[in-house]
Amino acid sequence: MSSNTPAASSAGVSPSTTNANIQEISQNASQVDRLVLEYLRARGHKNAEAGLLEAIESGSTEVAGNTLSSDDLIKGLAVFAQKPSRPGENVLKDSSSVLQELSTMGNPSSIQTLIASLGTAGAEEILSLDPTDKHEGFRELESWVEGSLDMYKPEFLPMLFPIFCHFYLDLVQKGFKEAALHFHATFSPSLAPAHNVTLHHLSTLMLPSHVQNDDLAQRFRNEKYVIRMSRSGFSLLIGWLTEGVGGETPGAGEGFSGEKGKRGRAAVMRVVNNHLRFDVTSASATSVSPNAWEESTGLLSSLIPTTAAQSNGSSVVPNPHTFNSSKGELKLGPAPISEELRAETERVLREQAMLERDPNAQYDVHFTRPQPLPGVVSPTEADLLPHPPSFKTIDVQREVEKVRDARKRIRLDPSVLTSADLNSTQGTSARSKALPSICAYTLHDVGEGTPCCTFSPDISLMAAGFSESHIRLWSLKGEKLRGLRSDASPDVADSSGISRLLEPDGSSTRKLVGHSGPVYSLSFDPLGGSAAPPKYLLSASADATTRLWSLDTMTNVVAYRGHQNPVWDVQWSPMSTYFATASRDRTARLWSTDRTTALRIYVGHLSDVDCVRFHPNSLYLATGSSDWTARLWDVQRGTCVRVFIGHQGTLSALAISPDGRYLASAGEDLAINLWDLGSGRRIKKMTGHAASIYSLAFSAESSLLVSGGADWTVRCWDVRSAGSQAKPHENGVNESQMFRPAEEGNETYDSFLALKQDFSLRNSTDLLATFPTKRTPVINVHFTPRNLCLAAGYHLPFEPR
Amino acid sequence: MSKPGPKPGKSAHSHHAGIYKADAVKDVAESLGITNLPEAVASALASDVEYRVHQVVEEASRFMRHARRTTLTTGDIDLALRTLNIEPLYGHTPHASTTFRRALPFPNMPSAGTVFFVEDEEIDFDKVLREEKIIVPKGVNWTAHWLAVEGVQPLVPENPPAVPREDAAPPLAVNGKSPQLGPAKPQQTSTPQTQPTQLVKQVLSRELQLYYTRLTSSLLPPSTAPAETAKRTAALASLRADAGLQALLPYLVKWVGEGVVGALREETDGEQEGRTLEILLDVVSAILENSTLFIEPYLHQLLPSILSVLLHASLPSSHAKHLRTAAAQTLGRVLTQHSTTYPSLSPRIMKTLLVALLGNTPTGKSTTSTTVNGFAMDTSGTPNGDGTRAPPKPLGTREGAIRGLIGIGKEAVRKGIVEGGGARIVGEEITASGGEGITSVVEAVMMALDTLQPTSGMPETLDPSQEEDAKLITQLHDLLGDFFASRVISRGDRDWAAGLVAGVSD
Repeated sequence: MSSNTPAASSAGVSPSTTNANIQEISQNASQVDRLVLEYLRARGHKNAEAGLLEAIESGSTEVAGNTLSSDDLIKGLAVFAQKPSRPGENVLKDSSSVLQELSTMGNPSSIQTLIASLGTAGAEEILSLDPTDKHEGFRELESWVEGSLDMYKPEFLPMLFPIFCHFYLDLVQKGFKEAALHFHATFSPSLAPAHNVTLHHLSTLMLPSHVQNDDLAQRFRNEKYVIRMSRSGFSLLIGWLTEGVGGETPGAGEGFSGEKGKRGRAAVMRVVNNHLRFDVTSASATSVSPNAWEESTGLLSSLIPTTAAQSNGSSVVPNPHTFNSSKGELKLGPAPISEELRAETERVLREQAMLERDPNAQYDVHFTRPQPLPGVVSPTEADLLPHPPSFKTIDVQREVEKVRDARKRIRLDPSVLTSADLNSTQGTSARSKALPSICAYTLHDVGEGTPCCTFSPDISLMAAGFSESHIRLWSLKGEKLRGLRSDASPDVADSSGISRLLEPDGSSTRKLVGHSGPVYSLSFDPLGGSAAPPKYLLSASADATTRLWSLDTMTNVVAYRGHQNPVWDVQWSPMSTYFATASRDRTARLWSTDRTTALRIYVGHLSDVDCVRFHPNSLYLATGSSDWTARLWDVQRGTCVRVFIGHQGTLSALAISPDGRYLASAGEDLAINLWDLGSGRRIKKMTGHAASIYSLAFSAESSLLVSGGADWTVRCWDVRSAGSQAKPHENGVNESQMFRPAEEGNETYDSFLALKQDFSLRNSTDLLATFPTKRTPVINVHFTPRNLCLAAGYHLPFEPR
Repeated sequence: MSKPGPKPGKSAHSHHAGIYKADAVKDVAESLGITNLPEAVASALASDVEYRVHQVVEEASRFMRHARRTTLTTGDIDLALRTLNIEPLYGHTPHASTTFRRALPFPNMPSAGTVFFVEDEEIDFDKVLREEKIIVPKGVNWTAHWLAVEGVQPLVPENPPAVPREDAAPPLAVNGKSPQLGPAKPQQTSTPQTQPTQLVKQVLSRELQLYYTRLTSSLLPPSTAPAETAKRTAALASLRADAGLQALLPYLVKWVGEGVVGALREETDGEQEGRTLEILLDVVSAILENSTLFIEPYLHQLLPSILSVLLHASLPSSHAKHLRTAAAQTLGRVLTQHSTTYPSLSPRIMKTLLVALLGNTPTGKSTTSTTVNGFAMDTSGTPNGDGTRAPPKPLGTREGAIRGLIGIGKEAVRKGIVEGGGARIVGEEITASGGEGITSVVEAVMMALDTLQPTSGMPETLDPSQEEDAKLITQLHDLLGDFFASRVISRGDRDWAAGLVAGVSD
């Protein structure tokens, strides 16, 4: 370095090549400045030297002709502030190398994003920076996409959205608020309606500081947006982007490749280079199904947990499928039951068969052995969560009842509907074979609202949680709910003694008070199954606690604290000792009833975990989140084993089929997705709901899915049929419009529903039936083991405007 | 900038910079004593405020979603603020907004700052105790029903009606009123009837339309053939007793009204019209008799028909008396049935009848349809082209009014005929008219007088020579006019005459 170079007293050829620039500038600078510079260099104060140099330079250039904008100044200062590793290099002549270097150094994001927005084109580009570039560039890109061949359009259209977002963020970041608003107003309507939520969120960002602090904006900035494209489509895109830039000198030519067009394309190019990543497939464009982009497009890198394989090679395009397959096979078979318990269950079944003289009952015995499905690995005892080695009477009762339920179950087989003509008499009998009977429980006068309502596994109890922080319990059998007396002595000799211990009077409803915020989820313990009433109830609330209620004493037994934020969902594991919660603090947790701290914390979602469901064999836990993904976790290891990407909105409900193979998820994009747990792939997308879907349930044979939602309907879906987007009805009226309440106040039907009616509401062909209710949002659907469907909702009183 | 590109401020031609305006920020600043806030700062602050508001709303919408609602409440905002670690806005409840009052400054403790308090309403114990018991609303409850049975939605009231096809309307969704779901649903019963702005288009089912055509065709035109008569009797019987005709009521009322007007317009003094009117009156009384119909809202349309028949000047002579009597009876029935629930009904009818009876102002234009006390009626029938020598109310109208009064009751008769001088006026007119067609009027008046005071079993003639009787005769002449006084006297019933006079002087 030049620290020991003798100080040059006059202008001339410097021995150090690195100082050439300084020398040139120094010529313009005053004598004093030069001296100071020399001094600083001699003492090795490189920072100070550089700073002063910059000051001199900018001062002189400004005087010379105002050619440097203030942006450039900021940029230059930022560069110098960061202590370049190779000082003295001519920074300004070769800005691209500096930018490269800076980006490898891990600067504060503010400067990095600033630099990223400046791009690689150098100072010249910055000088002509102009908000209309973006406008022009996006307009050109849009018209190019519109003008492309139909076969490529599905590939190119998803590209518009990220480029729009980056342009908007760029404009906001640079303080062009008006231009950003204008840009948003001009182009956002033409983007796919699926992005409306994100677009609205972006439109709320208006100041550079907002961009710095907003999670979504930062994700856009820091992550690559993945777009899947075929090879030929990609080369077309490259051709378009480079066409004007590569061939001609700037300023020459007119129209599409004119000065303005060139700069616009350059702006697009910058975003493509810096923020997009193309997943180029060799598949031809036509073989991609229309919904496939949902799975492979977006800010995927943070959604998919990094694996060892991925962290080695960072160039790998993140893909949920590669992640899912890297996690190996899952054990999705039914949980084994211990040999003693099975023997005892079989004995009881035989006894009952003898007593009842039921000739069919003797065939029940083979039901006790869980039937493994072909192609599914069953777990062994050792895989299960720890549980007590011995079994109790209630376990036998439950298993016996399970077998009886399986025998007495109403068989629902939706496949008969596909062959039958629905209008004939044959059709009606086919309907009765395919579709369930649904009993609707409607709550009245709920006041502020009922966030949740649930049924016990034996259908003897119904519980509802209210916004007013309390829980109400009803006996559906009309029995009196009596808790234990608090003053009773514990010595009990016989059954009459027990009844003396109970409170003398009671009603068929009980109010449980304890929470200090709206109760968002309730779960009855599944130990008794359909054989005996549950003993415990879990509730999750906005006060960040989960509470365990004893249904013997009708009191709160434990409050589980640990979540930082409201707990959105709670569910018992099928083994009933454990339970899982989902919270706004972006975690799901596993708890055991006998400990007040969480056993496992499942971290990885980028936003609220909205719902949680156990796999029937309790080895896995499915979570749905506001980051638009669902995940499957290994309960014991606490690792994510599957990630399901494809929803275009917050997930609102989950269900895992009783055979353990499928996951159904419902999102705010009003679609229900069906996933294969084994492969992690989406089987199909089911559409038809006109408003949020609140609850999903599989029938006992996993052949039928029932959903209930805010559009006041209960809908039945065929799980097994292929399902596709139906053509619009011939008369142009889709069913959901027809079901808009005809007789009672259309005007109260929320306007946002009307808005959502406009797009993607075509019923897919696997929608078997729609049962409208009277102004009752359906908050829970539930299948009994015998395939009776229960639906719970609250009646919305008619509100005159 | 080296390039004369459009400035950002100019390029945004629409000057909308978000929802929250910079002016609002300036207002706030001024209220805090900052007078010269630069425009740039204000607009930046406005943008930031808007962003923060959106942040809170986005957070609140999560709470709304998880509460399974589609409307954002103040509670959601509260929870969102709490979660974002911002102090909640106190005092906003979704139910009734509490109003706060600023307390007087606290001189002892200036550090306390401004204190606000909720003003409590002062409740007077005596008043509360005197008032009726306040009904505590029932708590949350539930009802269960079958939403679907084996894949088919049963048509029970709890389920919404089946999707309407183009030809078949849902049967009898009266005024959009849905059948009640449960006993504890006070909200649902507030049907659009209480909201006059809401117009519900009501579709008449095909069955009812058919019924209506059959009914009207069997009633009219009147024919004396026995088969027709039987049909008519059956139709009237059906109208009298069948349920489920509520939807037809407005159509029937209109049909009757048009029929009456049509029949009265006819110049001819024909049998046909008389019979038509007779049948129409039968229809009206049948409708009134049907206990399943809710007729009150249509009374104001029905009454003009009745009153027209009653007060029309020239009814077909063969039917006039019968028609007027029938109309008077119907009117009486209307009053007895509905005067309790429709308190202004009897005074209005009373007034109409009195005007018809006593109104002797020569109406220049013999109106075809006058509006008397809100009841549009057709009271004339003698179109009088010249209008120069228009007679006072024709005798027919007088007679009708009298019969109407009889139908209403004794008090009405006393008021109209005796105290109001109806008898005197009618008597004068009778003498003036020269005795043509007066029998029915006279009969009506005498009948009215009969209702006032029952005739005694052993009539005793009046003797003008006796002083007492002479006085009575003078009083009779005063009250009833010469014509009717002489009639009364000629009846030769002293007690009765005395009763008439005594009734007035009470």
